[in-house]
Amino acid sequence: MALIVILPKQGQSVESCIITEIKKKKGDSVQKGDVLFTYETDKATFEEESPADGVVLECFYNEGDEVPVLLNMMIIGQPGEDYAALLGEEGKEQEVRGKEQEVSKAVQANQPINQLTNQLINQSTNQHTFISPRAKNLATKEAVDINLLKGSGPTGRIIEKDILSALENRPKMTSLAKQIAVQEGVQPQRTGTGLAGTAKSTDLLPVQNTVYGVDYEDKKISNMRKLIAKAMHTSLQNSAQLTHHLGADARRMMELRKKVKKAMESGKLSTNITINDMVCFAVIKALKKFPNVNSHFLNDTMRLFNKVHLALAVDTERGLMVPVVRNADDLSIIGLANQFKEIANGCRKGGIAPELLAAEAGTFTVSNLGNYGVEMFTPVINLPQTAILGVNTIIPRPKDLGDGVYAFVPYIGLSLTYDHRALDGGEATRFLKQIAIEIETLEIEI
Amino acid sequence: MPKLQHIDPANKRKPGFVEFLPIPVNQYQKTVKDEKGNFSNEEFKAIYHDMVLIREFETMINLIKTVGAYNGTSYNHPGPAHLSIGQESAAVGMAWTLTVDDFIFGSHRSHGEILAKGMSAIHQSDDKYLLDVMESFFEGAVVNVVKKDFKGTTKDLARRFLVYGTLAEIFARETGFNRGLGGSMHAFFTPFGVYPNNAIVGGSGDIAVGAALYKKVNRQKGLVVANIGDASMACGPVWEGITFAAMDQFKKLWQGDMKGGLPVIINIMNNQYGMGGQTCGETMGYDVAARIGAGVNPEQMHAERVDGYNPLAVIDAYKRKRKIIEAKNGPVLLDVLTYRYSGHSPSDASSYRSKEEVEAWEKHDCIGSYGKQLMDAGEATQSDLDGIWMDVKALVYDMFLKSIDDEVSPRMRNAQIIGDMMFSNGSVDSLSTATPDVLLPLADNSRVKKIAAKERFAFDADGKPFSKMKQFQLRDGIFEAMMDRFYKDASLVAYGEENRDWGGAFAVYGGMTEALPYHRLFNSPISEASIVGTAIGYAMCGGRVVPEIMYCDFLGRCGDEVFNQMPKWQAMSGNVLKMPITLRVSVGSKYGAQHSQDWTSLVAQIPGIKVCFPVTPYDAKGLMNSALQGTDPVIYFESQRIYEIGEQFHKGGVPEGYYEIPFGEPDIKKEGKDITFLTVGHTLYPALQAAKELEEKYGMSAEVIDARSMVPFNYEQVVESVKKTGKIILASDACTRGSFLNDMAANISTLCFDYLDAPVCVLGSRNWITPAFELEDSFFPQVSWFLDMINERIQPLAGYISGQNFTDAEFIRRSKLGV
Repeated sequence: MALIVILPKQGQSVESCIITEIKKKKGDSVQKGDVLFTYETDKATFEEESPADGVVLECFYNEGDEVPVLLNMMIIGQPGEDYAALLGEEGKEQEVRGKEQEVSKAVQANQPINQLTNQLINQSTNQHTFISPRAKNLATKEAVDINLLKGSGPTGRIIEKDILSALENRPKMTSLAKQIAVQEGVQPQRTGTGLAGTAKSTDLLPVQNTVYGVDYEDKKISNMRKLIAKAMHTSLQNSAQLTHHLGADARRMMELRKKVKKAMESGKLSTNITINDMVCFAVIKALKKFPNVNSHFLNDTMRLFNKVHLALAVDTERGLMVPVVRNADDLSIIGLANQFKEIANGCRKGGIAPELLAAEAGTFTVSNLGNYGVEMFTPVINLPQTAILGVNTIIPRPKDLGDGVYAFVPYIGLSLTYDHRALDGGEATRFLKQIAIEIETLEIEI
Repeated sequence: MPKLQHIDPANKRKPGFVEFLPIPVNQYQKTVKDEKGNFSNEEFKAIYHDMVLIREFETMINLIKTVGAYNGTSYNHPGPAHLSIGQESAAVGMAWTLTVDDFIFGSHRSHGEILAKGMSAIHQSDDKYLLDVMESFFEGAVVNVVKKDFKGTTKDLARRFLVYGTLAEIFARETGFNRGLGGSMHAFFTPFGVYPNNAIVGGSGDIAVGAALYKKVNRQKGLVVANIGDASMACGPVWEGITFAAMDQFKKLWQGDMKGGLPVIINIMNNQYGMGGQTCGETMGYDVAARIGAGVNPEQMHAERVDGYNPLAVIDAYKRKRKIIEAKNGPVLLDVLTYRYSGHSPSDASSYRSKEEVEAWEKHDCIGSYGKQLMDAGEATQSDLDGIWMDVKALVYDMFLKSIDDEVSPRMRNAQIIGDMMFSNGSVDSLSTATPDVLLPLADNSRVKKIAAKERFAFDADGKPFSKMKQFQLRDGIFEAMMDRFYKDASLVAYGEENRDWGGAFAVYGGMTEALPYHRLFNSPISEASIVGTAIGYAMCGGRVVPEIMYCDFLGRCGDEVFNQMPKWQAMSGNVLKMPITLRVSVGSKYGAQHSQDWTSLVAQIPGIKVCFPVTPYDAKGLMNSALQGTDPVIYFESQRIYEIGEQFHKGGVPEGYYEIPFGEPDIKKEGKDITFLTVGHTLYPALQAAKELEEKYGMSAEVIDARSMVPFNYEQVVESVKKTGKIILASDACTRGSFLNDMAANISTLCFDYLDAPVCVLGSRNWITPAFELEDSFFPQVSWFLDMINERIQPLAGYISGQNFTDAEFIRRSKLGV
């Protein structure tokens, strides 16, 4: 019996997702657990697995489509199986629409441009698409094909909002491509040949001599990028941030690190405990002693948390992500290390729960650039959290060992950015010092 | 309703009779022989001359209309010609004793009166005065035509000037007395005391009374004559004008030199027909029109009938009546009996009267019988009289040829100039050189003191509103502007119903009674035609006036005054006249179908009136200042819903000093980016609430613009806004059908078409009667109606369910039903 695969709803606020890759196309056979397609929300990427063995009987959308959640995406069944009954009336409509799109896309891909234009004119006459003058002007300017749009105005009229949202969601076009598209009245192919599917002018016209072409392209930023941009800008605009820098004697940690390596080699330990894990462990301990830092600043109130929900900045291909380990103060160093690895992988591969990515989910953030040799930086607070710790590289520094003996001792740099609205310099310094103390006196069980 | 006049029931309930005095009828029966010694020979002959001049002038026009030629010269005059052939003695008798300081107002049949009064002025004036008048009028444009190749005396030149200026005006020539913009029925010449003739029957009946009010209040020399027909005595505005003129207060309440009656003579040019209707015997019931005086006041308006076929009888009457006027015992009613041989107009076949009747009157012909008297008395010979005829005929033909010559008497070459004449756009602090009559220094005024303690901005530093009593209210804004002008301009008067002791029905004038003498602020009769009509006469003569109509719904009661008179006279006079009237009109609510209508659209449609509707104290004061500084007719609308509202927008509150807000400039009360609301009147406030709801619930930000003025109107700001938002709703309390908003909507659609994201939407009241207060929320635009309209016609709102039905189908259904 055939099964419908719907586009799942990932998170409360998600209304639609972009289909990033269709791994199994119509007609492909699949096994239960095979990844059928991947899709992304504005925060994360997900994979959808096949619920059964069989064949992809139907796929309603294509890569790059923005699909409202809970709509039918694929049908998995046995070859030749009739699945019409499964869909009901609504589904049929959806199916027809999907097919129409497919046809028109095929036409676009194969026909010469002038024929294509005629086709578009015919389409618009046939479909009686009504559009406001304002929307029409914008569509013309931005080379948006209104025949592909569904109007959200009264009686389905296409209004400005629809064009803006189409611009947001269509394949990115280079400015040259756009200019040519406006002049020639043509549309780009669905997926361009440029970076990340950007439609370039060559997708519209024969190859040109690039030497004389423009040496830049305007690339629309991703939703992810927009979110980061907004969060960072908001943070710097709306809080009073400053950063204290302090070093901690890293000899204890390096000693522990050696032990860990040994233990792993001998098989006594299965989890790799990194310097970062140790620093975080120390931070958690310090936070327990400074509850004011483990907090959110909400303008007229301070929200002090009983538990530590530690956020960790993770660099991914899609951009910076800051997943949270909840109740981190309940974890042993091994538990903490495991959790970090899990969420970091989740971020890099997609599939992390969106609620763990919200700034409100964490109570304090650690950002570690030590691996890259950074000696000092000023991390940006993840509002409404009140502080963030930047962890720097370890460098040897001269230290007075007593009796006039000086030696080079490895020091790890710690950069604490805090919101001066929430914390004063004295408390912040004492907290930072406490982290150093915790690092220097760290005890872990291996 | 002054308290000092006690109404004693014992006295009022006593039995008795109203007694009338006999009204004289044709008591004067003298001839030239009897008056020998009272007139010089030149005067006797001048009377004859003036009558002959009128007769020949009108005969010429009659010939042009009926046979298309005069003395063998063809001319086509397509315009009107209402002639008074046969009535010449009435006109000359009326005008003979009047000076240039005496003003006459006339009707559609007043060519004779223009010439009679003009000739009277020429007889009485010295050469220097006449030359000054002629040379200065339109910078000599008229006199230059008749001066060319003329070698005669100044008085003869003035006679040519008078005949030519009148005729060129009738023929719509640029060299006419009103640049050809008045025409036959509206020609006039103020330097000789000839004020507008009026094509609306009885139109002068109240306007002339206003002119008399101007003379009295501004201590000007002269009296005012309203020349109106016998049939106009049935017109409401005439009766209202007479009632206004006869108010007891002039003699009983006005103080000092202001005490006494108005210097006005209602002069009925009784030719016994109203078009084809016989007034005595068919369409009226007065038998003798002079009888009307008995119904007006105890003096019976000093009414009498005079034989208008004898010029000496009319002259005699005017000599006697002038004494009554000078003794401040006006108004006076004269019933001047006369007859016209000519039809009502050239299309009149005289089917309503017999040939015998016309012939019988022709046997009594005023010119023929007066000429005979002159000869009988030895004052003139037949050849003297023939000489006068020859001279007049030559003059009239000469002036006729000049006035039809397109070279010397061109038509307005660029008719666009009419556009420049619709408004005078003056800016004058005071229209009088006198010191304003006031009763106490402004600073001592109780209301002024009360206002000094008020908060001039509605909110305190924390944004919390002050109490209503503490706020400087909209009515205070109007009060401040008017008081400022009362103390600046001695000519300013204000009146209307309950304006004095009561302080106006809506307390705008509270505190004014103690500051101003009766003659500057008084109660009028409850008759809107007289309130507005007299204001027109007052303004025409050069005074500033603020009449008040208590409810907008009463505009119909002064329809002719508001639609036909007030807006037209500046342009119809060729900009000779100014019309500095600010007509206050209050739009009601809560009082049902005849007291709660927004009729702004009716007046905004009429060319020639400035229309504004301020709804904040800042705007109210600023626009009232502009209205009172200007020289144009303004209809100043107010809303009874918000007289007590404080200033919520203008930073720093309503300035204490003087400032003006220019007409026609809308004001952005709230900025926004997703949709524009343009409101007229009180609807600004629901629109702001709707904007708030829209923002809070649907994330749409509305820009709210208050039109403030309707005429003139600068669209630039609105266009800018719509270019930004792409969407607009226009809203007001006027019924939607025929609302001026539709006009604005059409203009915005035209100006912003390419920027529109949705059709321009108009939100008005339903096309019903205004229901009782409790049902008003289904009639007037409500806050939710804005959202309904957005949801239905502009952009569906997520999860919103419309309350009002704004669908196309419902629109068509209602239109089909006419509701």
